[in-house]
Amino acid sequence: MFRKVLIANRGEIAVRLVRALREYRIPSVAVYSDADRVSLAVRVADEAAYLGADPPSESYLRTDKIIDAARRDGADAIHPGYGFLSENAEFAEACAAAGIVFIGPPAAAIRKMGSKTAARQLAIAAGAPVVPGTETPVRKIGEARKTARALGYPVLTEAAAGGGGKGMRRVDREDDLETAMRDASSEAARAFRNDEVYLEKLVAEPRHIEIQVLGDHHGRLIHLGERECSVQRRHQKVLEECPSPVMTSHPELRARMGEAAVKIARAAGYANAGTVEFLVDRDCNFYFLEMNTRLQVEHPVTELVTGFDLVEWQLRIAAGERLTLRQRDVAWRGAAIECRIYAEDPVNGFLPSPGRITQLDEPAGPGIRLDSGVYAGWTVPLDYDPLLAKLAVWAATRDAAIARIRGALSEYTVSGIRTNIAFFSEILEDEAFRAGDLSTGFLDKFFARRRPGPEPDLETEAAAALVAALHACKTPASPPPAGSRSSWLVSGREEMLR
Amino acid sequence: MKFEVVIGGRSGELTVNGTSFRYRRQGAEAIEREFSLRTLQPGKYSVLIEGRSYAVTLDAENELLVNGRTLAIEVFDPRETRGRRSAGEGHGRQSIAAPMPGKVVRVLVAPGDEVAAGQGLIVVEAMKMQNEMKSPAAGRVVELRTRADATVAAGEVLVIIE
Repeated sequence: MFRKVLIANRGEIAVRLVRALREYRIPSVAVYSDADRVSLAVRVADEAAYLGADPPSESYLRTDKIIDAARRDGADAIHPGYGFLSENAEFAEACAAAGIVFIGPPAAAIRKMGSKTAARQLAIAAGAPVVPGTETPVRKIGEARKTARALGYPVLTEAAAGGGGKGMRRVDREDDLETAMRDASSEAARAFRNDEVYLEKLVAEPRHIEIQVLGDHHGRLIHLGERECSVQRRHQKVLEECPSPVMTSHPELRARMGEAAVKIARAAGYANAGTVEFLVDRDCNFYFLEMNTRLQVEHPVTELVTGFDLVEWQLRIAAGERLTLRQRDVAWRGAAIECRIYAEDPVNGFLPSPGRITQLDEPAGPGIRLDSGVYAGWTVPLDYDPLLAKLAVWAATRDAAIARIRGALSEYTVSGIRTNIAFFSEILEDEAFRAGDLSTGFLDKFFARRRPGPEPDLETEAAAALVAALHACKTPASPPPAGSRSSWLVSGREEMLR
Repeated sequence: MKFEVVIGGRSGELTVNGTSFRYRRQGAEAIEREFSLRTLQPGKYSVLIEGRSYAVTLDAENELLVNGRTLAIEVFDPRETRGRRSAGEGHGRQSIAAPMPGKVVRVLVAPGDEVAAGQGLIVVEAMKMQNEMKSPAAGRVVELRTRADATVAAGEVLVIIE
C-alpha cells in the first residue's frame, strides 16, 4: 500500500478521501488555493500544500504544482477525486513520469473515453447500443442541417470533449439549429478548449441510469449495479438513487446493462472505478451515453446498497492488488437516496450563493450518511462548484428511504447562504417522484406543476415573529436610512421578550 | 409590547406580554399562547409554544428558518413612522444590479449604446455558472460601473439605463 497520498481536489470529496486514507493509516496531503486555506479538507488532512491563487487554472488544474507538491511531501500516489484533473490523461501520464501512482484508470483508457465520438465508436465496436447520431464532429451548418434532418427533430448538440451538460442544446426546429450549434460550440470552447460539437437524436423522456464498474490490473472487471440519476436540472444531477425504480419493475435490466457496461469498459482496457452512463427509454431500451473515468460524486449510493467501499477498492487496485470480488459476490440490499446540497437559491432562479456560513446544523441518526466539505464559519468561495455536501440515506425500501431522508433534511440547516435543502423536501413529496416515474425531464415537469407550498400555520408564523421581535429589540436602534425597508431596527427592551 | 410584522407578504400583529403572546394574521382568528424563547447562540433560537418545539435560525437579513422552512419577515414598531416601500423603479433611470456575488466575465455594451428590452448587458459568473443580465427596458446605457474581470457583490449596481 502507499506511503502517503496527495489529494488533488477540494471540498467534500477531499474530506471523503482523507477519511478513507485514515482507515488505512496512510498519511494524507490536502492541497489548497488561497480561498481554501482553512477548508475542512485542509483541517482534517495530515498535511497540506499550497498551490496558488483561487482560479482553478492557477491552483487545482496546475499539474506542475501538484506533482511538485507530491514529490516535495513524499507522496507516492495521487488521488484526483472528480472534476479538475481526474479525467485528464496528460495528468495521469505526468504522474507516471514522476514515479507517482495515479489512483484511477490507465491514461490510455481515459483518452479513449475522453472524446465522446471516440467512446461512441468504441461502444459500437463492443456491441453496445448507442443513440443514433454523428460519428464525427459536425463543423459546417449545411452538414448539421442535413444530419439533423436525417436523424429527425428533436436533436441534441453535444460537446465532443464534454461533460456536465456543457455544450448541450436541445433543438426542436431547423430554424434554431444554427444558433444552437454556435452557442454549443462557444460554450464547449470555453469549458474544454475544444469547440467540437456533434449531433444526436434526442431520446424521448429517457431515464439517465449509470452503471458502476470496478476492475483490477489483472483482468477482472465487474459491475456494482446502477444509479438512477434522472433528477437533473440543466443536465446537472441533483438527486440519485439505487435501485432505479425501473430495475425494481424490470429486474433483468440490471444484468443486461451491467454486462453492456463491463463489455465497454473491457474494450477500453479499463481498470479501477468507473461509470458507464446510459439513457433508458420507456420501453427499457438502453443506449450508451459516455463513460466517466473516475470516482463519481454520487458513489455513496452504490456503497450503501452493496456494502463495498469504492475508495478502498480504488486504493487497493491502484496499489496493484487483485480484485477479490466476483460478480456473484455483489448483492443489492435495500434502497439508498442521495441529495446534492448546493449553495444556490431555489427561490431565485437557482442563482449561486457563495458566502459565509453563519449557522450549521447537520442531520444524524440511523442510516444517514453526510459527506460534507463545510463547517459553520466557513466562507464558500465563488470560484468553484456550488456542491457543499451530499446527504445520503439507506433504508430497507425506497419508501422508507424517502421518509428517512425527508427527516434528515428537516434537521439540516445552513444559514448565511442559500441552499437547495428545502427544495428537496418538495421533490420528495411529489407524487410522480414517489411513484418512481422519472425521466431527465422530471424537474422541468415538476417546476411546471409546482404550487407554492401551503401557508405556514399561525404558530409557526408566531414563532418567527417572536424571534424577529427579539432580534429587533437587540439590534441597536439607529434611524433607518430614508426609504429603507430593513426594519429589524425597532426600539424596545429585550426584557419584554424573555 | 406590540409589533407589526409582515411574514411572506402577509401582515400580522404580535403582542407580547411576559410569557404569553397574542398573534393575529390579517384575515385570520387571533391566537393566544404561552411561550418560552431561548437564545442558543447568536442567531440561533429555541421557541416552545405550549410545548411545541420550533427551531429558529437567522438566515439572512429579514429572513428566518423555522423548522427548516424559510420565512421572509419584517418587523415594525407601529409607533414609528412608516416609509416601507419607496415608489422607486419602473420608468426613467433603471439600475441593473448584480443578482449574485461573482466575477464579470463579459461586458456586452458600452456607455452610449442603445439597447433593446431583454438585450444582454453583462455576464456575471459564480461557481461555474454564468448569468447574463438583461436590460429591463429599451433605452440607452448612461453609465457602466464595472469592467471585465471585476469582482462584484450581490446587489451592486453595474449598469444604468435611461
